[in-house]
Amino acid sequence: MLKPKPMSRLLIAASRDQLAPVIAELYRHNLFHIEEYVDAGAEGYEGFKIGTPLSGASEKSADLIKIRAITSAVSLSADDVDKKPSCSMDELQTKIERELPLLEREVEELTVRRSKLDAREKELEQKIIELTPFADIPVDLNLYHGYKRFTTIAGYLSREVILNVPHEMHIAKGEGKNFIVVVYPTERRSEVEKTLQEAGFQSVPIPNESGSPKGRIEFYTGEIAALKKEILAISTQLEDVKKKHASFLVACEELLKAEVDQTEAPLRFATTKQTFVAEGWVPTDQVTTVTNSLIRAAEGKIFVTVVPTDPEHDSVPVKYNNPDFAKPTEVLMDVYSRPGYSEVDPTLMIAIVFPLFFGLILGDVGYGLILLIMAYGLRKFLKGEGGRQLLDVLRNASISTIFFGIIFSEFLGFPIPGWNPVLYSRHLMSEGGGHGPNIPELMVLSIWIGILHLTLGRILGMYNHAKQDHGHHRTLAIMANFGWLAVMWGILIAIWSTAAVPLMPNLTGLPVLATIPPVGFGLNVGHATGLVLLLAGIIFIARESVLEVIELPTIVSHVLSYARIVAVGLSSVAIAMVVNFMSITMFIEPQLKNLSVVGVIIILVGVVVFVIGHALNTALGILGGGLHSIRLHYVEFFTKFYKGGGRKYIPFGMKRRFTEE
Amino acid sequence: MAAEVVAAVGGMTVEQIAASQLGMKALGAGIAVGLTGIGTGVAEMGIGSAAVGAVAENKDMFGLALLFTVIPETIVIFGLVVALLLLFV
Repeated sequence: MLKPKPMSRLLIAASRDQLAPVIAELYRHNLFHIEEYVDAGAEGYEGFKIGTPLSGASEKSADLIKIRAITSAVSLSADDVDKKPSCSMDELQTKIERELPLLEREVEELTVRRSKLDAREKELEQKIIELTPFADIPVDLNLYHGYKRFTTIAGYLSREVILNVPHEMHIAKGEGKNFIVVVYPTERRSEVEKTLQEAGFQSVPIPNESGSPKGRIEFYTGEIAALKKEILAISTQLEDVKKKHASFLVACEELLKAEVDQTEAPLRFATTKQTFVAEGWVPTDQVTTVTNSLIRAAEGKIFVTVVPTDPEHDSVPVKYNNPDFAKPTEVLMDVYSRPGYSEVDPTLMIAIVFPLFFGLILGDVGYGLILLIMAYGLRKFLKGEGGRQLLDVLRNASISTIFFGIIFSEFLGFPIPGWNPVLYSRHLMSEGGGHGPNIPELMVLSIWIGILHLTLGRILGMYNHAKQDHGHHRTLAIMANFGWLAVMWGILIAIWSTAAVPLMPNLTGLPVLATIPPVGFGLNVGHATGLVLLLAGIIFIARESVLEVIELPTIVSHVLSYARIVAVGLSSVAIAMVVNFMSITMFIEPQLKNLSVVGVIIILVGVVVFVIGHALNTALGILGGGLHSIRLHYVEFFTKFYKGGGRKYIPFGMKRRFTEE
Repeated sequence: MAAEVVAAVGGMTVEQIAASQLGMKALGAGIAVGLTGIGTGVAEMGIGSAAVGAVAENKDMFGLALLFTVIPETIVIFGLVVALLLLFV
């Protein structure tokens, strides 16, 4: 918790004939993050070379490529399939040998035919486009060609033109510009071209066809329809292949991927003629398990040891170590950056604080329920791991939304009947004796959240610097973080001593030390303390880096930024209330008093307004609640302590879904 | 009484003055949200287009790009806060 999983660096050395069993064993465990061997003459690795793949690697890769070509042609992904294939692994193996080539040929033939038909369709469409302008000219298409002394041109003209050359001209009026066809004696070409060019003529190629233009267009349209039918038939055939072989294909892909991964693993190891050495990372608590099973697999003819590491210089892969409820939040961390191995992993804090912020912003039982249903309903469509995690985050956020909805007594913008808001109300209108909104209190509450969140961030910053830095720089960095805290709290104490703020300590009554004569302003103990903290803080910050001092105003802007929790929340309440007012008070209620046919239609309009309005507000609520909460973490919280940039832990192996060992 | 006299001089009753004060508040709130909204929009315009470009080049930039894009959001939030304070405090 709050720390990535401890890792140990494992070194495995054995004779080359143990390669296959060792790799199989490592793959089965799915725990060993291989540190790839680079042939750069590292110390202790003189004379080693990068290994060569195990036998059968190229055949397996070729099969895998075939499978992938088929799955991409029928657009099949492993997430679309739920059930395992009914046959055993041996049967699957023989099926790959027997059926795969046939299936590949079938799919390839179909796709090749489909792309040929697609190309032909495009060609015909182009022809129709070329023919269309000629459709309004009552001239047969074979009359455009085959003259020795005459030239035909066609094109668009935006204004009228008079040619001083003997000619024949056809005009089809269009919007803005006219389409013209001109036949003129070839020897007068330059004159004609000049006149036309001056009139802004855009030439169009004359299609090399015969017959009436309209007839040709009809003919091509008919052909395109036939092509479309054929393409559709091929697509249905491909769809049939997909349906029939889906589970076989995904299982094959998984099986072959596992085999290819294993046969190609030696490419990442260091080898000599007789031996190989593999280095990698294993979670410290799994070291014994992995070691023992490796020794068993190699019948004792293997050397496995833990190599001492230095977490600062070795880039240790990072595996999250969180309790189950915080695991979905890892997706939000990865969007920003994975934590480094030696820094605090804030996933757990986000897992708690993010839903709280989301709930405080949206805070409505109705919307919470809608989101909860969405979080479960969308599971059918989002099957990838990242999608699942996001939906889990949404589920936690929606539960928090329902909780705060009860606190604020809100249901789709209505107050919950017979239930008054606990603590503070966000009801913008105080109709029917309810209370109006407690804006100042809510505002101060959100500022308090900001102050505490930022203080936590700075404390984590101090902790991180204490862990990661050394010597003089370490002291300076810790002091600078303390300085930022001192400035913030100094300003706060000075404010509390100057004016009474609701929900905050009132220090105006402290003994006065001095009075500034012209304004009669009493400087009390609080002011003095605040000033001392402020100055000390600035000095601490400047000692680390003088330039940082210009960042001081961000203290105020970052704290005030938390006011968005209330501000965005109130705006969503306001939208909900407006929707309710429009649909119910304006459309539905007046009609219910004396029902008529027109009245029923107006009521229906009111219902539509209600549904669309609340759908829109739900979407805005997800955006507002989600984006603003995560932004408060990314921008305000993380900038205080978080560096990130950790390397992802990718163990050698896979989670098998369709096949067995 | 005195207030009414002063108001009468201006040709307005106390109710009218109260109503116009309310109107002014609403106007101020509207201006606060509207102008800060424009400000945020202008600021996010450049950042957003650059961010989309960066994400198109490298998908890992998404988190950072989102972060940069929403930084000016604070401006409109300040406007919203000012508007709320004007209307309700």
